[in-house]
Amino acid sequence: MKRQFKQTIWVFVTLISHYRRHPGQALTMALGLISGVALWAAVQLINDHARSSYAEADQLLGAEARYWIRSDNGLGVAVADYIGLRRAGFEQLYPVIETQVRDAQGRSVAIIATDLLALPVGNGIGSSARYSNPFGASSWLALIQADYQAWYPQSLASQLGIEPGQQLVLASGERLPPALIQTQTQQGQRVFMDIAAAMAILGTDTFSYLGVGRLSKLEHLRLAALLPATLKLVTNHQALDLAQVTESLHTHLTALGLLSFAVGLFIVFNAVRFSLLARQGTLTTLREMGISLGMLSIAIIAESLLWTLFGTSLGLVMGYALSQLLLPAMAMSLQSLYAAELGSLIGIQPEQVLLAFGLSLTGVVLALTLPLWLRARESIRRQRDTAAQWQQDQRGIRWLALVAMGLLGLAAVLYPWMASIEQGFLMLALLMFGGALLLPWLVLGLIKTCARLLPKHQWLLRWAVSDALAQLPHLRIALMALLLTLTANIGVTTLVGSFRTALGDWLETRLAADIYVQSESLDIEAIKQAAWLSGYSPRIGLDLRWQNRPTSIRGLDLTAPDTVDMVLVQDHGVLDHGGQNQQAQDQALQAWRAGDSPVIPILANEQVQYLAHTPLGSIIELPTPAGPRRFKIVGYVHDYGNSSLAFYLPGETVMAHWPAAELLGAGLWLSEPAAQIDPDWLSSRLSALGVKPGQWVLQGEIKRISFAIFDRTFAITATLNTLTLLVAGLSLLTALLAVHQQRLPEYAHWRSMGVNFSQWLQIAALPLLLMLAVTLLLALPLGFSLSWLLINKLNVIAFGWTMPLLWSWWPLAKLGILTLGIVLTTLTVSVVRVRQTLPTAIKQLAGDSG
Amino acid sequence: MLTFSAISKTYYQPDGDIQVLRQADLHLPAGQTAALLGESGCGKSTLLHLAAGLDQPDSGQIMIHDQCASDFSDRQWNHLRRETLSLVFQQYHLVPTLSVLDNLLLQARLANRLNPGLQQHLIDRLGLAPLLGRLPHQLSGGQQQRVAIGRVLMHQPRLILADEPTGNLDEATSHSVMELFTTLVKETGSSLLMVTHSQVMANYLDHQWLLQAGQITPVLARDT
Ligand SMILES: Nc1ncnc2c1ncn2[C@@H]1O[C@H](COP(=O)(O)OP(=O)(O)O)[C@@H](O)[C@H]1O
Ligand SMILES: [Mg+2]
Repeated sequence: MKRQFKQTIWVFVTLISHYRRHPGQALTMALGLISGVALWAAVQLINDHARSSYAEADQLLGAEARYWIRSDNGLGVAVADYIGLRRAGFEQLYPVIETQVRDAQGRSVAIIATDLLALPVGNGIGSSARYSNPFGASSWLALIQADYQAWYPQSLASQLGIEPGQQLVLASGERLPPALIQTQTQQGQRVFMDIAAAMAILGTDTFSYLGVGRLSKLEHLRLAALLPATLKLVTNHQALDLAQVTESLHTHLTALGLLSFAVGLFIVFNAVRFSLLARQGTLTTLREMGISLGMLSIAIIAESLLWTLFGTSLGLVMGYALSQLLLPAMAMSLQSLYAAELGSLIGIQPEQVLLAFGLSLTGVVLALTLPLWLRARESIRRQRDTAAQWQQDQRGIRWLALVAMGLLGLAAVLYPWMASIEQGFLMLALLMFGGALLLPWLVLGLIKTCARLLPKHQWLLRWAVSDALAQLPHLRIALMALLLTLTANIGVTTLVGSFRTALGDWLETRLAADIYVQSESLDIEAIKQAAWLSGYSPRIGLDLRWQNRPTSIRGLDLTAPDTVDMVLVQDHGVLDHGGQNQQAQDQALQAWRAGDSPVIPILANEQVQYLAHTPLGSIIELPTPAGPRRFKIVGYVHDYGNSSLAFYLPGETVMAHWPAAELLGAGLWLSEPAAQIDPDWLSSRLSALGVKPGQWVLQGEIKRISFAIFDRTFAITATLNTLTLLVAGLSLLTALLAVHQQRLPEYAHWRSMGVNFSQWLQIAALPLLLMLAVTLLLALPLGFSLSWLLINKLNVIAFGWTMPLLWSWWPLAKLGILTLGIVLTTLTVSVVRVRQTLPTAIKQLAGDSG
Repeated sequence: MLTFSAISKTYYQPDGDIQVLRQADLHLPAGQTAALLGESGCGKSTLLHLAAGLDQPDSGQIMIHDQCASDFSDRQWNHLRRETLSLVFQQYHLVPTLSVLDNLLLQARLANRLNPGLQQHLIDRLGLAPLLGRLPHQLSGGQQQRVAIGRVLMHQPRLILADEPTGNLDEATSHSVMELFTTLVKETGSSLLMVTHSQVMANYLDHQWLLQAGQITPVLARDT
């Protein structure tokens, strides 16, 4: 037993000694492991961090509420009703006021208020404010006692320019309680205060809604029976929650993280294979010396454990650093898109560390078991026989191709059932891995065909092509990793490009007016009279809930230029999209304008179609103060970036059904081109119309901001994609270095036969370029399918909006050039390395042959 | 064809220098064949590599085909190896991805010296006709060495340097390969310096030299 242990140690030391002689190989192996783990960990950390931030925010927003009690006419819940219900024994009820107000400078401020004492204990802010609040019990008391406190998240406070203790003055003249800057990220971009304070300041005697904690079945029945006719008990499907709203974004990021992990896995696989391959001679010698395969395996596994430990630790550190770099951009995007607040410090959880180790260990073990198992099955004699190894390799490639066909076939079979985001990503994974596993087979086929077709006298070319057979076993995993990243790059680039174009076109039609004004105190008559304005389009509306989702009703002015030119969702000619052709559109718009059919025609945003699953032509019921009213959906409009549902009706129709609808703002058209207008002059003219500074914005500004948000959101994707591509390039470099190092004696002999450098270069480079060409060519259709799935399926499922897929060549060309650059760089590095080491290798021909 | 004058070569090692050649002299006339005998580790391969320019001597002069090669540049050595020299190794060093025929023609192609008549003749003599379409790993050791020899002869070098070409072969195969090899070398008019530790194989050649204590002494010279 002791002897065995000693023997194993010796075997281990023998194996490890390899890296002393080849520090470069150790370095590349470490780099591959570290970068793979780092990329995956960075995405993982950001995602987890964002999720936990939402989870905290949810507690305050009342995600702990199992149900809501809302009025179905949008009038809120009367205090008397609330008190009645609590008296009836429903202690788990708590009131919430959630509203938007304007401050004295016309800026919109979101307020959320509740009664801390009424919150169910052990739930949400009730517990966190009362028992675990970092400010202690005194601050909690200060919150609910006159003169109260208003809690601001840090970013909101700096945005509004609020200092601690300062009181924000509202447009109504009322003051909010003294400010307390919250360092906790629990309330989104809202001001939090006690409900009594809010009611006094806002001058309201109703609550926006009631939150309801846990209810037993019996209590549920009793409560539903007790409710006044105007109030409804609705289940909280969390449709409102940040976590839900932002889920799709995070799913995208998770997919990217998994992709980088998959690439990392390939790289680890690659690295381990090489370290085995480079020591094949030693391994065989050890076997010839009577070391059992079991003992060899133990030594190798011990070594992999060491690698895993080292690579993962450093990878986590790098990943942490990377996540800190990416976080600010991510945080800003989430804030502007969803008003979600992220903390600025990422914490690493023990689970994440364990997961990282688990994953890279899985990669290493996966990479090890196959070669070891194959090795175990073959005789020692065969291990010296490289040709036999290729044969085996080619058989392996055929097996991989069969598996690939299986995966692709499975994707084809599953396609019609794809309905959820998860299924969508499964589809993507099947597609990408199917493609990756098919790649070596395609390359092999091409090599064999080329070798057959090339004329006999092109002997050097034929030699070069046939040399691919010797390089393929070493390069194929790196090529697969490259294919994966290229596919993802093409897919995502096309998605982003299409989205950007669609967004631009949409903003172009949607933002037809020169100036957008948000103010309830518009002097409409003065606007009509103003000579410097050529047109205006008021927007009225209100927010309600429909199908348990936040829904807005908008009334449009039929004579306004942008309503006249209204564009409905086009039929992209893609399978199941509900768009209409031109003629149908014209008819629909005409009917909508006339509004006189038995059921009133209504337009909706696409989200109604895809998120609320309401097809074109559906009859829907919307709640009005006079009871539910029926409408018929006659068309859809694009509404990118909106996470709520929206319906559009002519302004009069809205006023007729919802008298409480308010003037939300207006679009103004200038008589002269906007570029020639002096902003100060404009500002003074607008003031005269009752529009204060800060209440209006130029159209160009909105577009600029929209694109800024857009680009920031996708910058992270682009960064991750490029990094993954670089990592894949790194694994290619490792592979190339390993191939050349292993074949150095062979090259030395070629040299002694008179093969000059340029001839050698052809033989070394041509196969690589051939393989790269196949990889790029395969990446095109795969990437195209990927973007097709992303745009026409996943995007629709996740966000509920459609866009035409635009295939543009420039980004693809850029990607191709980048890839070629990476490959040529790796080739150059490996060639330089060969040039440096070849003289020694030539001298060693002596030892080799004698 | 090949002349060594007072060649010395020492490997400088941390644990003691190994002086492999001490003022060694050697002369191989054109068109003749010689065997270099000696114990394992005495420096035979080293000498061969000096002759092929794969390594440089510390002192002394090497003449190949009337050229003083001792201070050749790398480029000149490459040219010489491509045009004038050929090496045969114990490991046959066939290119595993190329067919037997392509391997046979490889070196002649590199030197741009294809000769269809010679090609047919060598294929016939080496008995490779039925094997031409195969890959090296589908051949036996003896067959592979026949291909390696055919490759060298197809190149028509003036000087062939062979390092234990039969070292990997069994005795019967060794004899048939040696017989073919020496006969064909004579037919093509090349000179041959062959390193071997086997007296039996040395008997196939015109001269036999012994390398001992860094010096070369003739053991036997046969008139041809
Ligand atoms: N590159 C080298 N560095 C150091 N010593 C070497 C080297 N090559 C050969 N030797 C030593 O030189 C001596 C001669 O080697 P070699 O020419 O290969 O012998 P032979 O071919 O006669 O068996 C041996 O002792 C060997 O250890
Ligand atoms: Mg030797």
